[in-house]
Amino acid sequence: MQPSIDVTAPPTTGGPSRRIFWIIPLALLGLPFFLNDYTQYIVNLILVYVLVGVGFNIVLGNLGQLAFANAAFYGIGAYATAILLYHYKVPLLLAIAAGSIAGGLAGALVCLPVLRGIRSFYLAIITLAFGELMRWVYINAETWTLGSMGLHVPRPVLFGWVLATEKQKFYLFLVIVTLIIAATSNLLRSRVGRAFMAIRDNELAAASMGVPTALYMVLAFAWSGFVVGTAGALYAVLVRQVSPEAFNLLELIVHFGIVVVGGLGSLAGSIVGAVALTMAPELLRDLPGYEELMIALMMILVLLFLPGGLATLLERATSLFRQTYYRD
Amino acid sequence: MIDPATASSSIARQLTLTGVSVGFGGLKALTGVSIDVRPGEVVAVIGPNGAGKTTLFNAITGFVPLAAGRITLGEERIDGLYPHDISARGIRRTFQNGGLCGHLTVLENILAGLHSEVRSSIVGTVLGLPNARRAEREAVARARSLLSLLDIGRLEQQQAGTLSGGQQRMVEILRAIATNPPLLLLDEPAVGLAPPVRIQLIEIIRRLAKTQNIGVLLIEHAIELVMGVSDRIVVLNYGEKIADDAPAAIRSNKAVLEAYLGHG
Amino acid sequence: MLAQLLVSGVSQGALYALVALAMTVIYRATTVINFGHGDLVMAGAFVVYLLVVLAGAPFLISALLAVVLLFAFGVAVYKGLIRPIMAGPHLALAMMAVAVGYALRGLARVVWGREVLPFPKVLPQGTFMVGPVILAPSDLIVTGSVIATVAILAIVFYATRLGKTAQAVFQSERGAALVGINVSAFQGTMWGIGAAMAALGGILIAPVTLLYPDLAASTLIRAFAAMTLGGFGSFLGAAVGGMLLGLSELLVGAYISSKLIDITAYLIIIGVLLIRPSGLFGRQAVVRV
Repeated sequence: MQPSIDVTAPPTTGGPSRRIFWIIPLALLGLPFFLNDYTQYIVNLILVYVLVGVGFNIVLGNLGQLAFANAAFYGIGAYATAILLYHYKVPLLLAIAAGSIAGGLAGALVCLPVLRGIRSFYLAIITLAFGELMRWVYINAETWTLGSMGLHVPRPVLFGWVLATEKQKFYLFLVIVTLIIAATSNLLRSRVGRAFMAIRDNELAAASMGVPTALYMVLAFAWSGFVVGTAGALYAVLVRQVSPEAFNLLELIVHFGIVVVGGLGSLAGSIVGAVALTMAPELLRDLPGYEELMIALMMILVLLFLPGGLATLLERATSLFRQTYYRD
Repeated sequence: MIDPATASSSIARQLTLTGVSVGFGGLKALTGVSIDVRPGEVVAVIGPNGAGKTTLFNAITGFVPLAAGRITLGEERIDGLYPHDISARGIRRTFQNGGLCGHLTVLENILAGLHSEVRSSIVGTVLGLPNARRAEREAVARARSLLSLLDIGRLEQQQAGTLSGGQQRMVEILRAIATNPPLLLLDEPAVGLAPPVRIQLIEIIRRLAKTQNIGVLLIEHAIELVMGVSDRIVVLNYGEKIADDAPAAIRSNKAVLEAYLGHG
Repeated sequence: MLAQLLVSGVSQGALYALVALAMTVIYRATTVINFGHGDLVMAGAFVVYLLVVLAGAPFLISALLAVVLLFAFGVAVYKGLIRPIMAGPHLALAMMAVAVGYALRGLARVVWGREVLPFPKVLPQGTFMVGPVILAPSDLIVTGSVIATVAILAIVFYATRLGKTAQAVFQSERGAALVGINVSAFQGTMWGIGAAMAALGGILIAPVTLLYPDLAASTLIRAFAAMTLGGFGSFLGAAVGGMLLGLSELLVGAYISSKLIDITAYLIIIGVLLIRPSGLFGRQAVVRV
């Protein structure tokens, strides 16, 4: 006996193909031939911010937790890499990996209070305090960070090759960014990603389905910190100057903007958001205030009129970019 | 029928509450409540608003701590465990106000219900290793077969938040039974369902209990549903159990009538 | 020495209490934590600066204008930006508050540039002695204004019709709507009052510290520390928490290290949430999952 239930939606089958995440990077391999050194630098910066967005979106969009520590994860990744390169002459890839791991550990650390039952805005306030605390640390841990004047990162060397040009850095960045996005996509389209979303929508229900919610929140923050820490590490290699003011609240608004304007909870949205918003600070660099003002206004408009962000427009155009939380 | 091939083997275990009390501040929400639910048995909990029915569910599933008493599943004591640990031992529930994840699709909601059944490591998942992929594929296949059980496969790509109230109840019940739990707690499963669907719900619940040997504890206000579905009815009033008997006997129980009609 | 520290601590703490109370008003009325509140504080001070320095207006009139302007701004933000998305996810509300805050900060920076501005000496200068304690008239004015504001707030909340409305909405928004209370108008008023109090805070803070766009961040965190310490959502907690924070900062600075003054608030937030999340007077703040 089958109950008859009103069915209103037409059937759709299957998840969208994810080959797109490999086709786009392959297509990008040819990009440097069309760019000069400055535009190439901007493209590299976009790649850095793609990771910033992808990482931050895990906490904001997928876990649904307001957090202010993202600029701190970014800074910790950058400082860890810069300190290893500057003081200890560690090989480049190792230093980048250390930046990722430092970011991941910071993410887990910030989120540890959830194990004591701390949630929502209490956790948000802790992340805010942690972020500001880190800026104090950058300035005061002078032995390692050289205080407010910052660290000058030596020229990056990969397996004996000096990465002298922006184009050379581009290929290194493209590989790292592609691998991390693929890994994040794998994670989101599994029981882990579903657990994040279940916690966001209904934590009690998630727990009643056997999800140890506090542990999964720590995991989300740790992965988010890992991805954003990697972004910080690449930033250190790209800009070769790491100083405290690069990780202040002005930086954080760019991060918020990327995620909200791109689309909360959408991997493709983070990427589009990064492309859209990395341009802004570059164009408006010499006009103080306009950058924040513009990003804030974009956020307000999106929150009011396009709650799903630019990703909504993408998804309308093609189902390739629809975020799913399973694979078959 | 649930396909035996897709259902995990559930071991029949009895739920036993002994002298369970729960307090909020100075208020006692439950006082010395003792209830058994045997495998394959459908037990309804009824009582006026504020009688402590949902608190009882929250106590069993670990969302509120006990002030006194003990809860066992089979031989194992489960009070004091975390909700996810209790869930892992095979107690699944639905929620009075709807427990679906509104931004996940129907399929993803069922998959979330299968969380503890998907055997994949974090590393395997991140790297997309073959056995993690296989575990995912198997879970998706099983989720689809569950959806076909209630003939709602066509809804699989719909966001749960956009479904009608009745559809949401159906999906939530499916999600709760996805792991073939030995014990199912349903908090007002018939809310929002049209009368004909209620009758079907009764049949589904009884079929699950009898064929899968699942113990079912349910809270319900719709009295015709309670009478039709349950083997036994427990009546709560002001946090105390005032009756525990077969449906026919409950109908003529004086204490129950008084609780419902008021003390005058 | 200690008496001196206590007096200065109370004066400093009164300011934190004022901002924390303003945030509590908005939180209790709409359950929105205004993560942009520090920027309202900054905006209040900034408006006064513009009027006094650039337009040459008298201080008291400028202050009054700033408070009124921020009240109107608070109501407008609620009506135009918060109310339309109230039904949506809580995260969107918080992000909206953050975005409004950043917009204000950006606007200030557009006018202002990257400079740190000395606020005009609008409060009386000089000091006088009371026993062993040196008092500045500005301390008295600041503390006096805060006490007056808290007193007015208390009268409004406990002895007027608006207060009764507030009690009803705090208990149940839906219930209040059912008995005919215009919840939207009420919540708009509360946003206005919260913003006006923030403006007052800014006007009182800026003469003591300096005026710069990032004043917002440090103010916000101190207000959070005060609320966390006192217990989130509690008016009494916000007032007491603010005082205690002011005292702690000065005691830490005097007896441990002046370097630590800036992070006292962060450490209090982290410590309180780890040890006693409900603070001094708050309700239970942890979940059991």
